[in-house]
Order: sequence, then structure tokens, then C-alpha cells
Amino acid sequence: MELIANWLGNAPDFAVPFALAALGLILTERSGVLALGAEGLMLVGALAGIGAQMHFGTPLVSLCMAMLAASVVSLLFALMVIVLRINQVIAGLALVFFCQGLTGLLGTLLEWTNHPVSGLNAVHLWPLSELPLVGKLFVQNPMVYLTGLIFLGVVAFLQRTQAGLRLRAVGENPQAADAAGISVLGYRLAAIVAGAALIGLAGGYISVLSTKMWIADMTGGRGWIAVSLVIFARWSPWKALGGAVLFGCIEALIPQLAATGVRLPQYFVLMTPYAVTLLVMIWVAMGKRESGSQPGALGEPFIREERR
Amino acid sequence: MNPQHALQLTGIHKSFDGFKALTDAHFTACWGEVHALLGENGAGKSSLMNIAAGLYAPESGALLIDDNPVRLNGPRDASRYRIGMVHQHFKLVRPFTVAQNILLGLPADATAGSYRKRLKNLEAQIAAKAAELGFAINPQQLVETLSVAEQQRVEILKVLMAGARILILDEPTAVLTDQEAERLLATVQTFARQGAAVVLVTHKMADVKRYADRVTVMRGGRTVDTLAPQDVSVEQLVRLTVGESAPASQHPAAAPGAERLVVRGLRSTGQGPLQGVDLTLHAGQIYGIAGVGGNGQSELANALMGLPQPTEGEIHLHGFGDLRGASSEARRQLGIAAIPADRYGTALAGSLSVAENFAIGQIHSGRYGPFAFLRSKRVQADAAAAVEAFDVQGVRSLQQKAALLSGGNAQKLVIAREFSREPQLVLVHSPSRGLDVRATQAVHARLRAARDAGAAVLVISEDLDEVLALADRIGVMNSGRIVAQFDYPADRQAIGRAMVSHD
Amino acid sequence: MSTSSEHPALRPRRQPLFSRRYTLELRQQLAWPWQALILALALAFGLAICAAILIGAGVPAENLLDEFVVLTVLDPQNLKAVLFQAAPMIMVGLAGCMAFRARFWNLGLEGQMIWGGIGATAVSLLDVGPQALRLPLMLLVAMLCGMLWTLAPVLLKLRLKVNEIISTLMLNYIAANFLLHLLYGSWKDPRDNFPYSPPYRAFERLPDLFDGLNAAIVLALVVTLFTLWFVGISRAGLYLRFVDANPRVATAVGVPVRKMILTTVLLSGALAGIAGFMVTAGQEGRLTQSFYQGYGFSGILIAFLARNNPVAATVVALLVAMLFVTGRSLQVFYQVPFSMVQLIQAILVICVASSDFFIRHRLRRVQSSEQGSAA
Repeated sequence: MELIANWLGNAPDFAVPFALAALGLILTERSGVLALGAEGLMLVGALAGIGAQMHFGTPLVSLCMAMLAASVVSLLFALMVIVLRINQVIAGLALVFFCQGLTGLLGTLLEWTNHPVSGLNAVHLWPLSELPLVGKLFVQNPMVYLTGLIFLGVVAFLQRTQAGLRLRAVGENPQAADAAGISVLGYRLAAIVAGAALIGLAGGYISVLSTKMWIADMTGGRGWIAVSLVIFARWSPWKALGGAVLFGCIEALIPQLAATGVRLPQYFVLMTPYAVTLLVMIWVAMGKRESGSQPGALGEPFIREERR
Repeated sequence: MNPQHALQLTGIHKSFDGFKALTDAHFTACWGEVHALLGENGAGKSSLMNIAAGLYAPESGALLIDDNPVRLNGPRDASRYRIGMVHQHFKLVRPFTVAQNILLGLPADATAGSYRKRLKNLEAQIAAKAAELGFAINPQQLVETLSVAEQQRVEILKVLMAGARILILDEPTAVLTDQEAERLLATVQTFARQGAAVVLVTHKMADVKRYADRVTVMRGGRTVDTLAPQDVSVEQLVRLTVGESAPASQHPAAAPGAERLVVRGLRSTGQGPLQGVDLTLHAGQIYGIAGVGGNGQSELANALMGLPQPTEGEIHLHGFGDLRGASSEARRQLGIAAIPADRYGTALAGSLSVAENFAIGQIHSGRYGPFAFLRSKRVQADAAAAVEAFDVQGVRSLQQKAALLSGGNAQKLVIAREFSREPQLVLVHSPSRGLDVRATQAVHARLRAARDAGAAVLVISEDLDEVLALADRIGVMNSGRIVAQFDYPADRQAIGRAMVSHD
Repeated sequence: MSTSSEHPALRPRRQPLFSRRYTLELRQQLAWPWQALILALALAFGLAICAAILIGAGVPAENLLDEFVVLTVLDPQNLKAVLFQAAPMIMVGLAGCMAFRARFWNLGLEGQMIWGGIGATAVSLLDVGPQALRLPLMLLVAMLCGMLWTLAPVLLKLRLKVNEIISTLMLNYIAANFLLHLLYGSWKDPRDNFPYSPPYRAFERLPDLFDGLNAAIVLALVVTLFTLWFVGISRAGLYLRFVDANPRVATAVGVPVRKMILTTVLLSGALAGIAGFMVTAGQEGRLTQSFYQGYGFSGILIAFLARNNPVAATVVALLVAMLFVTGRSLQVFYQVPFSMVQLIQAILVICVASSDFFIRHRLRRVQSSEQGSAA
């Protein structure tokens, strides 16, 4: 049962990047912008985080730099999608490959690759951490706890503020929002940047706190999984958190199984997150009665109707 | 200076891409009255009111509020002048509550306290205002769970709580049952009695007679007359709206031939607009379906043309069987020509060339080559011949995109394609929508020619003039059924009455 | 309103921009020479940015032109490498073109390539078939494997509307892991224990036909001709154009939409499978763990730049091959990492996609004093 305790202890570490990235995607997509660039923005955040950590050594600062870097890069995406009205799928894909190329290039040029950094020490939530079996669940680095707070904050914003209401209106029915005097383009820009910050934070978490180093393409498809998580969660933050926990548990299981000496084909085990994602997508598609809570105007560029 | 004039529009001209929607239109509404704006589809009443609401800009003419000339640069300007318009298509965010929708439209007010407090206050205000107007509404209910009538009330509340004193309602009773319509109009009357100006854009005579203090009739983009509905009979109103009986156009009264298509008891599955349509099409006869838009014509057209439309009932083609089982290719083989209303949504691919749009009609039959290669020479030749024969103008080159054709020529192209084999059954929906007079005449001539060659023709149109000019037999569609049938020569007034009646 | 049956493209639309003094108008159509000019400007801009980045990365400015143009085209050794590289590039480019014509985002090109390579390698390892037929057999199996790897995503899309972007991408990762499983497991070369398969026998490799021209490029050109026939000459091409332009109209006029989408996507997978075969039987001579890298996005890039036209795709693929070969030599001589190539590709896609905006819109100053009509 050591196995289960370790597994539970590690799962949150794997779940956090999925959770943060999904939350950022939800924020952006709730405003009606289809955000496929998560994989790329996560890489940017990861690289920026490592770079900052190597220079400043403070995880707090590094994570902030990760958020900032991803936000800046997302401005490119915003330019493509809001101003130039490029097809949002193409823009997202181009952004991913742009970020992959950019981070790969910078990582090597600046010699930040394979440089281990110090992370953060775990915080023991006493007395919960003394519980048998589930005790390790409460020994996590502070970012894990912070993630919960971030979730609360974003949910509160979306559900309990006028700005959040307007954001959601922009995503559901931009014509109605426009008629009500809300700046559709302004809100979408803000949503893209804010969402990117969270996605960058997810990336920074992976590199600075989890793996504690930078390797090219280190996110390994997690951004794409986050995209499908959002669909799976029907754009609800708490359901996304649940999905993130699920994937965290799956990913945490992999090293534990290896540790027990169970002879599993290694690469098949590594396939699991992707296979599960695919199955989840199929399951969602089969169970669809209504279109769920997909923001009504997701993916459609905003065009004001004929006026004059 | 008459301070009673709340809203005044004078000398308004407006065109859309060459189509003259409004010619020297004028309209005046006073404070404290319900003023109906009456006319058929296409008469220009919605366009005129959209100008008043700031959505369109007129080419010339003036807009006065309280006798002061103003210029509106957008709907928010109109809102500032306390004009509020409730459109036919609601601008509501469906997953939100009533209160949230209304809150959206209100300016952000930092002093009003926290969001929750503001929402709570608003909910109270909404309940109060609704009670004032005589209906109950739950401000916490989600808009998507409201009935259409209730959603409309939310729209009205939205507009009122933003401070509107001039209320414009565009065809408000089109989506309501009789009872709901009564309640709405009674509410609106109350609002007028409180001093506001209410404009009721409608085509329903009964509503005008019952609720309006004055009525302005529009026809063909012009203002015909303004009078008090108490002083006129319904007949007189009908005559003003549809015009004098037009002289009969050339109509050889051909004896109808054999039955071609029988429709029996066609209704939409579930809660749909079709409520049991019965009609029979004969060879050598044009059957016209007249009616106000929104009474099931589109659904009937879709069902007959083979577009996705869930229906029960019978559509029997003589010599074949249930038409719904026929594939697109089978339809062509059977000689069925379908000309839908939405040209660029269902008939033509705008980004493809004229030649391609023409060729796709006969391509399955193998006329343009086997699968392995396209006989493009033959395609070009056929397309050129068709363009010539059907007078499709504006075709500089057969390779140009179909989207560049004007409405009339696009329609002619569709006809050219559909008529490339001698059709046995022609189904047409709104053939002259968006077409000028010449193009309309050309299209009508084609339809008559098809009839004379022995085809059975069905014309569904919201333009009564068109139906009267073409049809040998007329069915009036109302509330999803054919409620009356007339043979040529048909009594225009009787048709008009059947179109607007409610039983 | 009642006149809204006019096609939207015929009405000039005004779009709000950030500044209030200008509005955007949708253009109806722009003459070809102007479109080409805008495209060329966009590409030039993109290339300028790439040059700046390269210089920043340590490549001396004078050498840039040398490396990219002179050496790749004029040096016969390099030219052979470029042509060799171009063959699989053309294949994935064509694969992209095919899928996009059916409005199917086939991002699984790499996964399909992997399976193509696996299929060809399986034939080799199992020693199936007589010598003379070995290569064609490998080709056939590669096509089949690539095709099968697209079957699930396209069926899922047609039946259940599952988003093909995610499904094809996930299958990429699954295929990549399966490849590693094979290469680190039962297919590992027993001689040196490296994660690649045993080398192909001599007759299992694509031969040089004459004077250094490899059969791969000839195969690629043959396939290009086939694709050209399919989308340009055969009836399927017309069907596909309708499916791409307006699926609703396509169904209404009798185009067999589902059949077309299924066939085209399967073909796309087959082409990607052939690409896998070309790399393993051509350049590599065995199944390696990263032979497919970079081709996925390249395929999309080529199809996008070529606007799904097969002939243009061949030309663009050639240019991308030049980019790849140059990228490798930059890596060797100037230590510029290969991800530079990916970055250049992304920048070019962004520039070309942005140019579309200028082709479709026109900036117009709005005189706020007059009330203009929509004309």
C-alpha cells in the first residue's frame, strides 16, 4: 500500500499543469475564441520559467516570468485572430509550431537545455499529512495549493462579476453583447491574454517545479490533452479540474507501476494518456444530446451585421 | 412645432445594392398612442423602422424626435434618444437569466455596489416593472427555458429599463399564439396610455383594428395613407395594403392534365410549423401557394425539394411513390426541377465557377464524361448555350465565380441548370425574391413555358402579385395548412382575407 | 431583412477596427496579379524576419544567401540530397492537399508515415515475397498501413462528429510510442543494439535510377500526376470542389459527400504512408526512431501555401526540401539547432495567412460627416 500512498502523493503534481492549462483555455474559449495553441504557449512558459529560474533562482519570480512570456506570445495569436481574422484553427496550429520552433531554438542557443534547477520544497499540511495512506496527498509544493485558489478566483470572476458576465455574453452571443454596448474585440483580447498567462503558468510549473529542467518539446502533448479536457468538461472549470485530476492520476500511475517491477510494455503504458484522451472524445461525442455548454459562438470570428 | 410628435420620418429613401426598399417614405407617431405600421412583406416597414432604430442610415430624408432633427450613428444613439426596438429575432443570451440579460445592457456602474447586490436590486426592479405592465416574470429564470412569448417580454423589459419612451415592435405577434398576442397588445396599450409612443409594425388587420389608435399603410416602399382604424373596414384596409385588383395577365385557361404529385396530411414531426398540408399538382398547371411568410412555406418547400426536413404524411409522385425516398440523382432522372429560395445556401456554390455550377446538374448522368475525366469542352459548350438561352447576364467568362452574379442572373443560372432536361415537375420557392422587374418577367416566362410543355409547376411565394400573375390555381397557406383554394381568375380580396385570418 | 437573399459577398461590409477613422470593407474579388503581389510581399517579409533571426543566431549575413540558394542548387551533391529529401516532402504535401480539399484537418501525417514505415519494415523483416516484387510489395503495404491509420478518425468524424484535429494528433503520439516499442523491443537491430531496425537488404532499397537520380523522386512525380488527375481531371475533383466550397449545396445537388470525404481522407493516409516508405527505403535504409520528424507540419505548410493545388505543392515541397537540407548544414557548420527550420516554417505560414487578410479586405476612410449608403 506504499504504492497507493506514493501514487496519491504524486498525482497532484501531474494534475496541476492539466488543471491550469484547462482553466486558461476555458477562460479564452468562454469568450468565443477557439484556442488550439495551448501546447505552444505551455512550452513558452516552460522555457521562460527555466530561464528565469537559472538567473534569479526564485520560483515565484520564475513562474511570473513564465506567465508573462506566454502572455506576450499570445498577443501574436490575438493579432492573427482578432485583427487579421485568420481562421482560428490555422492560427492555433501555426502558433503551436511557432512556439515549438522558437523554444527549441532559444533553448539550445541560450544553453538552457538540460540544466537542472532547484524547485520548491513541499509544504506539509499538518495534521492531515500524518494520515495513513492519504497523508502524502497533503505534502505538496505550495503551487498545488495555490492552484485551488486560482480556480476559486477564476470561477468567482466568471460567475460573480459583471465583467465575467460580459465575457460569457461575448462568447455565447456576440451580436447581443455588441448590441448591449460591450466591446467584443476588447473582451476577447483580454481573455486570450489572461488565458495564455494561466497556460504559461502550467508550462512553468512543469519545467520549474516538476521536472526541474528544460528539454525541447518537454510538454509532450499535454497542451493538446488540455484542449480535449476542456471539451470533455463542457467548458466548466470544476469538471475540468476533475478531468485534470483523472489524467494526473493516470500519469502518476506510470512510474509507480514501473517501480513495483510489474512487467508492462513500457511504451504502451506511455500511450495511455493519449489513448484515454481519444476514448474520452469518443465518449463525449456519443453522449451528446444537446451541444453541451459549448459557448454559442466558439470559433466564429466576430463580424458586425450589416449596418449601413 | 407640434410637441405631440414623438417620432417623425420624412422623405426617406433607401436602397440595398440597387434594390429600392424605400421611396419617399414618411411616418409620424405621437406621444400616448399606439400607431400601427401596416403592410405586406417587402412593403418596407421593417426597413423604415430599422432606420428609426439607428441600424440603417437613409440615403436621404430626415428623422425628427420631438420635432428636433437628429442623426443616428448607431443603435446606441437611438437608445440615448430613448428609442427602443424589439426585433423579430431576439438578441438574448440564452443560457443567462432574465436579470443577467437585462444587466448586460445597463452601463457599468462602479458605485452601484457589488455584482450580487446589483443583480438583486435589478431583479426587484424587473419584477416591479413587469407587474406595472401587467405580467409576471421570474427574473431568475434562464432565458432558454422561457417560451417565445416570455422571451419577447424580456426583450421589451430590456428596452424599457434602458429608458425607452418610443417603443417599436417589429411583427411582435408573429411568434405568439392568439392569447399571448392579446396579452402583449394589451400591455403595450397600457404603456401607451402612460404617455409613451408605441409603433406596431404588423401585417395583421385584426390587431390593427383592435389595438391601434392610428394606422399607416405602406406598399412597395411607399407610404400609402394614414388613418384611424375605427373609421375604416377591414376590406378597405386590405385594399390599401394589397392594392387594387391588378389586371389579369395573359392566362390561357389551360385544362389541367393528369395528377402528378399528391400531398396528403403533411405535418412536421414533433412541434413543427406544418399542420397537415393537402394539395394536388396536375400536369400543365401552375399551382401557386400564397401566404404571409412564416406559416410553413419554407418547411413545405424543403420537404418537397428533398432538403432535410422531418415530416410525416404522404408525398406521392405518380409512377414513383414516396418522393422522400428519392435520392438527388433519382429526382433528376424523374424530371424534378427544384429552385429553392436560398440561392447561395442550397443551390449554388458561390466560390465555384458558373460552368461548374451548371455542370453539376448533369454530371451524374455521365453526359460530361465518365468518372475518369471531365469532358470540359462539352461542359463549356453546354454552359455557354444555357447562359445564352436563359439570358444569364453579367457572365464575362464562364470561369468567373458564381457569387459575382446579381440575384436575378443567379436565379436564371439555377433555372438553366434545373431545366436542362425537360422537367416534369417544377418546384419553386420565392422565385423572384431580390429580382428586379425584368428578371422577374423572364423567370415567370420560363415557368409558364414549362407549364405549357406539360410540366406540373408549384410556386410558393410571399409576393401575392407574383402568385396572382402566375397561378392557375391558388392555395392560401396559413398556420401550416392550406386554408382556402381558388381557381383563376381569383378574387384578390378573398385571398387577402384568407391570408390574414385567424380561426 | 427581406432583401437579405443577396449573397453576402456582393454587399460591401463594413467591419469595425480599433481606430474609428477607418473601416474595413470586404472585397469582392481581387485580380490575380494583385493577389500574387500581396502574397509575394508577405513571403518576402517573412523571409526577412527569418534572415534576421538566423543572423541573430550566429550565421554571418554574407553566408546566408550562399547557404540557402547557391549551395543547395548549384552543388550537385547538395542537389541530389535536396531531390532525395523532396520526394517524401511532396508526398506529405499532397497528402495534406487531399485531406484539406475534403475539409478534413489531417494532422496525423506523422502517425501515418510511421505506420507506412512500419509496414514496409515488416515486409522486409518477414522476408515476404520474391525479390523482384519486394519493393512494390513494401510500397503497397505502406500505403495500406497509412490508409488504415486514417480510417478511425474519418469514420469518427463522419459518424460521431468527433473533432479530427484531436483524434489524428492523439494517434500520432500513439504511433510514435508504438514505434519506440518496436525499435527498443523485438525489432531492435541485434548487431549493435541501437534503437533501429536491421538494415534493409539491397533490393529492398529504392535504387538510384541514373546519374544520382533516385527512384523516390520519380515515384513522387508519378503520384503527383495521379493526384493531379484525381483533383483536376476526374469527376471526383468537381465533387471535391463542391464539398470544399459548400457542403450543404453539395448534398443538395447530389454530390456523394460522405463517400468523397472517406475516399479522399483514406487516400491522404495512403500518401503519407508512401512518404514513410520513401524515407525508410530511401534515405535511411532501415526503420529509425525519428525518421518522421518534421514532416507533419511540413505537409500542412505545403498544402496551405500551395492552396491545395498538386503542382504548386510539388514546387513548394521542393523549396521546403531545400530548407531542410540547408537547415542540416546550418546545424553542422553554425550549430544552429534544427528547430530553426520549424520556426521558419511557422513564420512563413503566419505571413501567408496574414496576407489573406489584405487580399480579402480594403481599408477605407470613413467621412463621419456624410451619411453614405451601402454602395
